[in-house]
Amino acid sequence: MKRKLLLFIFFLATLSLSFGQEGLLPFRDSAALIQELKLQEEIPSFSYKFFIPKVSKNSKIPGDSTFLWVETDTAFISKAFKNGTLIDSLYEPLKGDSASILFFVYEEKTNINGLRSYLETMYATGDFVLAEDKEQPENDILLVASSNNYQPLDAYKNRLLGDFKLLAVTLIILFFIFSAASMIIFMLIFKTQRNQREENIKNYEQEIIGPLTNLLFEKDLEEISQMSNEEISDIFPKSLFKKRLFKQVLIERIIGLNKKMKGEFKDKLKTLYKRLGLVELTKANLKDSRWDKISAGLVQVNEMDLGELINEVKSFTNSKNFYVRSLAGATLLNLSEKVDLSFLKDQDYPLSDWQQMNYLRIIKFVGSSKFLNIPILLKSKNQSVREFAIKLVRMLGRVDLIAELHMINEASTDDEKIELINTYDALGAHMEVEFINNCMLSTNPDLKKIAVKAAGNLGNSYSEVILMDILVQTIDFRLRRACLTSLSKLNTETFEKFVSTQPLPENQALKAQIQDPLLSNV
Amino acid sequence: MYNFLFYFLIELVGLFYLILSFSVIVIYFIIMILSALEMRDYRRKNRFADYEDIITSPIAPGVSILAPAYNEGSNIVQNVKSLLSLHYGKFEVIIINDGSKDDTLTKLLDAFELQKVSYAYNSEIITQEVKGVYKSQNKSYRRLTVIDKANGGKADALNAGINISQMEILACIDVDCILANDSLTRMVRPFMEETNRKVIAVGGAIGIANNCDVQDGTVTKYRVPQSTLGQFQVIEYCRAFLMGRMAWTRINGLMLISGAFGFFRRDLVLKVGGYFPKTVGEDMELVVRMRRYMEEKKIPYKVSFIPDPLCWTEVPEDVEVLGRQRNRWMRGTIETLQLHRKIGLNPKFGILGTISYPFWSVFEKMAPIIEIFGLIYTLILLIIGDFSAIYFLALLFMIYLLSLLVSSFSILYEQISYNNYKNKSDLKKLIWIILIEPLYIHPKVLLWGLKGHLDFIIGKGGWGQMIRTGFKTAEERKTIEAQAEKSL
Amino acid sequence: MKKILIIEDDLLISSLVQFRLKKDGYETILVKDGNEGIHAIDTIDPDLIITDVMMPFRSGIEIIHHAKKTKPEIPIIVLSSLGEEEEVVLEAFNLGVADFIPKPFNPNELAIRVRRVLT
Repeated sequence: MKRKLLLFIFFLATLSLSFGQEGLLPFRDSAALIQELKLQEEIPSFSYKFFIPKVSKNSKIPGDSTFLWVETDTAFISKAFKNGTLIDSLYEPLKGDSASILFFVYEEKTNINGLRSYLETMYATGDFVLAEDKEQPENDILLVASSNNYQPLDAYKNRLLGDFKLLAVTLIILFFIFSAASMIIFMLIFKTQRNQREENIKNYEQEIIGPLTNLLFEKDLEEISQMSNEEISDIFPKSLFKKRLFKQVLIERIIGLNKKMKGEFKDKLKTLYKRLGLVELTKANLKDSRWDKISAGLVQVNEMDLGELINEVKSFTNSKNFYVRSLAGATLLNLSEKVDLSFLKDQDYPLSDWQQMNYLRIIKFVGSSKFLNIPILLKSKNQSVREFAIKLVRMLGRVDLIAELHMINEASTDDEKIELINTYDALGAHMEVEFINNCMLSTNPDLKKIAVKAAGNLGNSYSEVILMDILVQTIDFRLRRACLTSLSKLNTETFEKFVSTQPLPENQALKAQIQDPLLSNV
Repeated sequence: MYNFLFYFLIELVGLFYLILSFSVIVIYFIIMILSALEMRDYRRKNRFADYEDIITSPIAPGVSILAPAYNEGSNIVQNVKSLLSLHYGKFEVIIINDGSKDDTLTKLLDAFELQKVSYAYNSEIITQEVKGVYKSQNKSYRRLTVIDKANGGKADALNAGINISQMEILACIDVDCILANDSLTRMVRPFMEETNRKVIAVGGAIGIANNCDVQDGTVTKYRVPQSTLGQFQVIEYCRAFLMGRMAWTRINGLMLISGAFGFFRRDLVLKVGGYFPKTVGEDMELVVRMRRYMEEKKIPYKVSFIPDPLCWTEVPEDVEVLGRQRNRWMRGTIETLQLHRKIGLNPKFGILGTISYPFWSVFEKMAPIIEIFGLIYTLILLIIGDFSAIYFLALLFMIYLLSLLVSSFSILYEQISYNNYKNKSDLKKLIWIILIEPLYIHPKVLLWGLKGHLDFIIGKGGWGQMIRTGFKTAEERKTIEAQAEKSL
Repeated sequence: MKKILIIEDDLLISSLVQFRLKKDGYETILVKDGNEGIHAIDTIDPDLIITDVMMPFRSGIEIIHHAKKTKPEIPIIVLSSLGEEEEVVLEAFNLGVADFIPKPFNPNELAIRVRRVLT
């Protein structure tokens, strides 16, 4: 079957080939070919000559200037002509002399078949054009020209720009397809990996729950710490325990559980963490270059009390990554034997509120049992650390440290002074009234406002004078409100007298506000 | 000669659209990548954050929630109750009754046992007349303050709230928004975190509450809205919040924080003179002005964004209401860009001037005009029989594919990060909307945008003139009202 | 045998509680979110409910509301990490829960309290 098909195709091929040859030039016979020659002005390398046998008696022949006859032994042969359209007119006078025509290609004599094959070659290459295909209205060239729009450069430009546009559009679309495809592929890979991972995590959790629950209830702390290595490695399926992801899930679950458990369970979990060799993973995390890995490691150290890694943790307290350095700080506060604040003192980066909040919580939690050296923080070169120290005095209610604060009163910046005054105010430090009075005279509006507020609680008779001074001078509404509030707290009589002697509507309004019981917390 | 000019112009416009479509592709791919990176980092950071601390810590900043209410009588009591029950230590709720014509005020007075207090109101920012300030006698509503004032629009109402607010952070919200219980803690975090740059404002993502189940201030079951327009907005919001704003946050170029849920540093808002009530795009204008102020003062700053779903709102599903909203958004954009013309392409204004402003000018403000013009252009090419019409049709088709890609990715981001729309049939609906959006809904959005342009052009009045001239500096806003009053 | 319904989204915690209570001879049913919890209260008749407060879909407070409305005789123990938050504790007790155990907790302690509530 195959063979037959092949043969058929071959047959078709030859067929078309022969058709092609037959139909190359549309001349059925030599007459038609001569007819075509007569229409051609010139065919490259083609010429023709006239031939008259000597038998004929034609007296004119030798001297004719058109033909320039050359005499041979048997005949006269004319010079070579090229213009085919002249054939008929040249031949006419020679008819009686039984003349015939000789064809020459490249000055070689040839017969009609030779000429035909020559023309076919030329036709195929496009060097020979049939007379009927040539533009006909040659005589009307002006008419043709005038019917065309005159568009200077247009065709040329359109073509160039058109091609450029095609190129640009193709490039843009290719670029789009390429980027879209790469994004989609990336997403697909990402999604499958994620799904796979989530699936694994789910399965691992199931594997973890049973053995872990069993262990936590069936064995006490002593037993866990004395389990042999073999027993330990038998807790979880060995094939799973080799997997990194499994260990990660295990770590997460242990830490999660640790947060929600109390008492002996916490100790059991911590011991288990160490016995299972998960500390190695923590160490690897701390050595990673990605900040989130390091942070994860720090959380593990913190939650699992991995005191042996404390030096590694210390090296991160001045990390340029915010999360790493704040977690390192929190871990240090949690782990160190006595809450050692010296790492805080040497912080280069400003402490953000977020860090202060975290540290404060830890210090509050462990501070009672451990010795807390706040005064060294007051000597830090980092202003935000000094501010934090002042806040600590306030928030931990360390009245015993007011004397320490007093020593930095004068040397401190305005921002610190604001914290100092807030602290004195909160702790009721009446002995600092002079400092507060000084601050009320400050040019810094924020400091001034805070001092005015504190004066309401801690002020003396001199404070009243300053308050009234400010009230006379300032137009700042919030400051005036603070002044009047403080004045009313310090001395109702002075307050009433002041408001009545200065019957500005604004003062009256403020008085009403200050005395409105519903606004006592505004 | 004219003939030549015509063809030359056609070529030039063609070149412009080629460059434009290329940049559209490049920019959208950059946006997709930047937002994915930002989302990844955000989620990594979140793993190490313990939010429970913020609620009780004395170091956490106080928050003043400002919620203007205009004719909200039907739901106001429930809304305020849920605001008062947010999980946070130090916050106050200030409801500004902006001259409601219904019973908003009386309902508040009754439900919360409010009493007029002799509060000495002071207009740090000039506003319409304040008729009264109310506080509750009931201790459990101690956080609530209600201001009653003459109607002056949302921006004016917020300004009155700013004047009375006490806390460091302002949370400007729509009173009908549903806030998650932990929304304050999450939004406040960026303010507490940065130390090398000052965080001046934090924006939040907004979810669509239509057709969802809500319980205790949290959306408990997500469903996509029933109408096509509602579903379209789900996709749009995903694109805007999970993609657009995340990408802008990555390069610190965020220029818009939704008026329905935005947090600002109070001292800075006061320094630039509060909201500008004469524009319909007051939310965007304030952020731009605050950023401009920071750039002018050369203080390093950041505008942050939290993509977590913390705030939900009912979006309009009615064609007309949605059309008006989009019209207003467009005018707001045009007005803001006009007001701050000075920062455009000005390297002195950093990312704001060199990237955000030009982007908004071309891809937000001019987008409808460029688009409609591009369609006309392709039509002309088709009519004159220019072969390159085919190219432009091909480009058009490609942009359609791009929009499919971007929309699908934004839904994908939602699925990866939050996976709130769990129902398979919901997802199918969304995919269908993605397919038809460019053909069915986008033309409408386009027309609304054009209408916005038209309304801006024919908008008259002295303030129109003011907006056309623009602010000379960020602080000029503070003096502008005084000047205007003098000239009246 | 007494039936105890445990509503808790942390699988490990609930398994621990389950393990501990089984040892004391109780029958336990675990569900992992609020919706399932409400369904379980309606369909089975537990002798005791132990519920978390912060959970997907429905908060524990809601579950308490529901249980107290439909089957007020079932005692409820709340197990929550919101223990420090006064308001939640107060609300829970106002609704009439039998006990409130803050996380971090000790499962042994929980077992004792369960025994006390059920006798």
